[in-house]
Amino acid sequence: MDKFALLQFYALLKREVLEHRNIFIGAPVVVALLLLVAATWVATQIDQSDLAGGLRFVSVLFDGLSPFDIAPFIMLLAIPFYLTLYVCSVIYLINTLYQDRKEMSVLFWQSMPVSNLQTVLSKIVAIVLVAPIFYVLIIFGMYLVAMVWLTVLGISNDVDLVGIGYLFLAAIASLVLIYISAVVTGLWLLPSVGWLLLFSAFAKKTPLLWAGGVFILVGFLEDFIFGTQFLANWVASRTSDPNQYLIFEFQSVFERVFNYDTLFGIVVGSILIAGAVFMRRFTD
Amino acid sequence: MKNLLLRNRYTLLVVTLIVYMGVLVTEGMITGREARGIEFENPYFDFNSTDFEGFRQRRSDSENENIRVEFDGTGDV
Repeated sequence: MDKFALLQFYALLKREVLEHRNIFIGAPVVVALLLLVAATWVATQIDQSDLAGGLRFVSVLFDGLSPFDIAPFIMLLAIPFYLTLYVCSVIYLINTLYQDRKEMSVLFWQSMPVSNLQTVLSKIVAIVLVAPIFYVLIIFGMYLVAMVWLTVLGISNDVDLVGIGYLFLAAIASLVLIYISAVVTGLWLLPSVGWLLLFSAFAKKTPLLWAGGVFILVGFLEDFIFGTQFLANWVASRTSDPNQYLIFEFQSVFERVFNYDTLFGIVVGSILIAGAVFMRRFTD
Repeated sequence: MKNLLLRNRYTLLVVTLIVYMGVLVTEGMITGREARGIEFENPYFDFNSTDFEGFRQRRSDSENENIRVEFDGTGDV
């Protein structure tokens, strides 16, 4: 890929982030603020001496433990962010190509030296690789605020803070796991990404209704025509167990990405994404 | 052929869905794919989402067992 193509792609990614700041930045900031407000409210309900006792217990508990061993537990704090990213991704993917046609900006972008393939790929990269970076940075900001608060609390109550330092290191390690999990989830759910993009490029109105309606219809058609339920089985086997795409230890990354199910999902997702790329030529 | 496939958005959608279904059904037939359900096993109940009928059956058996134990406890039966 030459330098001009890279610059084009960078510009497309920047456009996605700027046009969807609410999804990439606004939503996780709101979640972080809500969590901080909730934590502050809980702290005000607890007696100061009990709070100091709890902090002392936590400090002793984590003192000397390996951050990589604790990181999976710290990941639980990121569940609200993970769910927010999931919901925001669905909203983004189902609206992005539809919105381009609705506001006729598709005509402008097609007059520019960028192909439909580059545009669609930029949207996928934006939501699978770039959006998790913003989420992780905002979680990091939240951890920093929490750590400063715990440090001040510890110093004012004469608590040994070595264990809190280990807790912070574990939180940093968990950020890497959260990012990798988000990216692997994006790859694992690439067929869903392709499906939403296909109907975002196809529908003249209500793309979400089209995507859901055709999904159900195709399942019925398979049962009706072939008498089989491979589509339903496939969907069930990809969505029933979060352990298939959540990463809790660094050693399992390679195994999760380079296994048959993930790679086959990428192939199926590519078929639907190719459909979305071709569909983008119909701008009416 | 290309003109036929790309004639309008509807033909393109149908072609994409046919390819999608074809690949999934073929792969399903080759690998004999079955739904991978959620399974819980613990001392209180066993649950397998692919065998929901079995779960209902076991639950109803267990409820009958409890009723029998309650009757036995009263000493009236």
